[in-house]
Amino acid sequence: MGSRRRSYIVLGLVLVLIVASAYAVTSKPTRQGIDLAGGTELVYEARATGANTSINVEDVDRSVDLIRERVDALGVSEPEITRIGEKQISVSLPEVQNAQDAIDQVGQTSQLSFYDFEPNVIPPNPDITDAIERPFNRLYDAVIASQDQKPECFEKGGEPLCTHDGQYYLFDENSLELLAGPTSAEQDLYLKFDGEQPEGSVVEKVPQGYVVLQEEAPPDDPATDANESDTGIRGWFLLKDRPELTGDDIRNPEQNFDPVSNAPNVTFDFTDKGQEAFAEVTERIAQRGLAAAGVQGQTITAEQAASISDSFAVVLDGEIVSRPIINFKENPTGISGDTGAQISGNFTITEAQDLAEFLRIGALPVELALINQSTVSATLGQDALDGAIKAALFGLGLVVLFLLAYYRFLGFVALLGLAVYALFYLAMIKIIPITLTLPGIAGLILTIGVAADSNIVIFERIKEELHLGRSTLSAIAQGYRKGIATIVDANVITLLTAFILFVLASAGVKGFAFTLGIGTIVSLFTAVLFTQAFLAVMGRSPMMRSARFLGAGEDQREWKFDFTGMSKYFFSASGIILMVGAIAFSTQQLNLGIDFESGTRITAALAEDASAEEVRTVLNDAKIDGIDQAEIQSVENEDFGANVIQMQAKIPPDQAVEVQGALSDAFGLEGGDQGFQNESVGPTFGQQVAENAVKALIMSLLVIAVYVAIRFEAKYAVPVIIALFHDILITGGIYALTGLEVTSATVAAFLTILGYSMYDTIIVFDRIRENVPRMPRAAFSQIVNRSMAEVLTRSLITGLSTVFLVGMILIFGDETLRGFAFAMMVGIASGTYSSIFIAAPVLTAWKEREPTYRARRHHIEETMGYVPVFPEDNAVARIEGHGELGEGPEQKLIGGGPPVATEVPADAPDARPPTGAPETGPLPSDGTEPSEAVTGPPGAAETDGSGASGEAADPAVAHREAAHRERRRQRQKRRKHGRNR
Amino acid sequence: MAVLVWFTVGVGLWHFTVFFPDRFWGGIVGALLGAVTGAMITGAISQIAIGESVGETDIATVLYAVPGVLIGVGIMWLIGTRHEPDFDPYEAPTGRRA
Repeated sequence: MGSRRRSYIVLGLVLVLIVASAYAVTSKPTRQGIDLAGGTELVYEARATGANTSINVEDVDRSVDLIRERVDALGVSEPEITRIGEKQISVSLPEVQNAQDAIDQVGQTSQLSFYDFEPNVIPPNPDITDAIERPFNRLYDAVIASQDQKPECFEKGGEPLCTHDGQYYLFDENSLELLAGPTSAEQDLYLKFDGEQPEGSVVEKVPQGYVVLQEEAPPDDPATDANESDTGIRGWFLLKDRPELTGDDIRNPEQNFDPVSNAPNVTFDFTDKGQEAFAEVTERIAQRGLAAAGVQGQTITAEQAASISDSFAVVLDGEIVSRPIINFKENPTGISGDTGAQISGNFTITEAQDLAEFLRIGALPVELALINQSTVSATLGQDALDGAIKAALFGLGLVVLFLLAYYRFLGFVALLGLAVYALFYLAMIKIIPITLTLPGIAGLILTIGVAADSNIVIFERIKEELHLGRSTLSAIAQGYRKGIATIVDANVITLLTAFILFVLASAGVKGFAFTLGIGTIVSLFTAVLFTQAFLAVMGRSPMMRSARFLGAGEDQREWKFDFTGMSKYFFSASGIILMVGAIAFSTQQLNLGIDFESGTRITAALAEDASAEEVRTVLNDAKIDGIDQAEIQSVENEDFGANVIQMQAKIPPDQAVEVQGALSDAFGLEGGDQGFQNESVGPTFGQQVAENAVKALIMSLLVIAVYVAIRFEAKYAVPVIIALFHDILITGGIYALTGLEVTSATVAAFLTILGYSMYDTIIVFDRIRENVPRMPRAAFSQIVNRSMAEVLTRSLITGLSTVFLVGMILIFGDETLRGFAFAMMVGIASGTYSSIFIAAPVLTAWKEREPTYRARRHHIEETMGYVPVFPEDNAVARIEGHGELGEGPEQKLIGGGPPVATEVPADAPDARPPTGAPETGPLPSDGTEPSEAVTGPPGAAETDGSGASGEAADPAVAHREAAHRERRRQRQKRRKHGRNR
Repeated sequence: MAVLVWFTVGVGLWHFTVFFPDRFWGGIVGALLGAVTGAMITGAISQIAIGESVGETDIATVLYAVPGVLIGVGIMWLIGTRHEPDFDPYEAPTGRRA
């Protein structure tokens, strides 16, 4: 297939995709994350419950399904419930502002069990009358009493009945009030105390085989208050843990009304197994009542029998919700259960409906601990979205203007490529669909830079080829042919980074990684395939014959700078910056945000004006943990409200909603729930974010080092890693120095810096790799200098394009995006710098130790008396002596740039370079064999370790190539001057 | 945090090894390994000797690492000169044709 025909096919395909994408963009809604749309996000960690003493992925997945059903029952639109890792569940509820309702609905485990009450209850004082009806007054007393019992797991028919293997409680040492619990692991008691046992507290354990249950709530009518303890407070019963049935034994639960009292209740049927167990236990209870009544049992009335009948406790999540009696007079053989049963427990209609719903969906197989909770106001979410869109539009506009000004028509092609890229990308977001979050938008904006850079790399190549005198079509073909390997290498690195981030990082960063990965793939398609096809088709038009039209009219800019020779000074500068960073790390430390340190950040729009101290007092009165150390300040945010306060404190996630309630009661919240936003991170989650960040960093380094070693050479991988450490340490040092907060968005930025820095280094190394075989007699420092001179323009243009984008985020982005952008800005500057002045010189120093390059250097020094900065400045006098090239030191032998007449005679050993010679060591004396040191044997080029072969390795051919290039250049100049005249 | 400080000191001071002739074992990369390893070792020894945890840092944390960098880099130099006594980065290699 001809290339022209292939180009038309590609353009046709792109056209079809444009139409399809436009349809998708206009017809499908964009799914927004809660940080943009507002809403509530809850992250739970699964913990073992009941007999289920270990957590497995199946249990967590089952919980995810159950939570999804619960959330669907709530009517929340487009909720996202996903498992994170093995034990965590993220629940994202767009537009839900009442976090407490969400927590109540989602995280409730609804463990239902039925106990035969009287034989199992252990009274506080067995000697008194009616002992079993008297609960412990305090939970603490019941827990302590349980410790007198022998731990054992009761069995029935060989099956264990116990619902736990020991439960822990945390009490205040003085007041004996419950601080936390019950939990199945002692460490879980400290979740809201930064993972450590608080001072003045005591841990008590209820042994396996026993449960402490709260007494049922008294009926509404005080006159019938039969179950309330003497103190008027609901007491606590200690029971042997021998449930007769569980929630698994019932079906079809429904909210109904009691036919007698008309109170809301929950009715249900039993499963076959449940019905059998229910019939058996109720018969047992009835028979026990009959036996207790003795001879009177046959003659007393049902009302009289009720007072001496035993009961059946219905327990929901550690609380007795009802305790119906089994009247032996009415049901002497128990209750068959074929018509089901009911639970009555002073429910409101809503409570009964919720309970029925929970029982219908099923109890969660695991206990869920809330470790992260955030609520975003829709107002602030919209502000963030507006800022992000502005940043993207302005950034894109600036990049396009810049490309148009610099590349002219090629810039226009880049503009088309970027427009198509943006359309495809948006379509992908809507079709997959990707939930768009703020970090995701940051990734999107960054991919615009990646897409633009792919064009820049190729356009610079095309310009180089045009300057060498190629025709437009040939230059385009060569530009793409040579640029494609570089772009693929650089993009694979970015993709690897994005993939590692996606797999290892926390939820917010995942969104960023996903959009970055998708964007990179789309940009490869548009920037390489589409623009190439477009240029190939346009290449035959008359206007394309003008180099000026393609931005290549002027002579190519030549960077005449001794990059490797001057690197000592740049190394020193970096060393000083790093030492300052080290001092900042040690004295100021990093200001780690709540993502890592755990805690709560709250923004509230108060209806009434209130000072920070007034807020603190209110929250102190509400007994909010950690409020003493809270940072509370007033902030200006007119969109949100007139009296906006912001606070950051070690408030546990489950108390954030209590803060909302306290503030609402004391000062009122503007717009109700809409006036409250919070992000709350538990210690477990914060620690996990930090661990994941470190894992992602290490994995990225390893994978990328391996990739570079395979694609280039093992020695190329080490400078890449060194440059990365350089960039990350410098960026981290600046964060420590400025005291800016390090959040999970900063981690994403750090990891992006890693990708960007490597991207940049790969571009430089790729050119070095390409030039090595082309310059078979040049010193390595010369090859590096030449390579960097060739790619410096591209590095600067790409750096500038990315700075435009990141700069716009800094100006228009919200607080999260600005933090991200700042790290990126520093990282881009450091990455561009380190690619040129750290990575390449390290590679040079290391490679120059190789015998091949030492020999070359020695040869050049012996020939010229010094090592010129660029290979094209090497003299060839000794080669002429071998009769290959004729007389005259002015001849050019090798080098990628235009020939420049050598002014330094080759036989002037005392001559020195005009500026910054790379080596200042002693020149070789006469101790080297001339035949080795000068030109070497005919096979020298094959032993240079570079893999050079063929024409380029042959000096005579290289010379002919250089002469040919020069002739073409002269022809091109003459043509251009002719047109100008 | 102390580990980060020592590592940064090691990398930071390593940058100045470019002013010395490249006689380090393994070249400039060997010097880096020496600098970072030395910084970590003397940093850790000092911190343990003083009885501070790795979370506690101050300006002294930086200083603890400095001798380690010098020792590490010095060791790499010594190994380099002993293992490769004839190596001179400015001389053509012997025994091999270029």
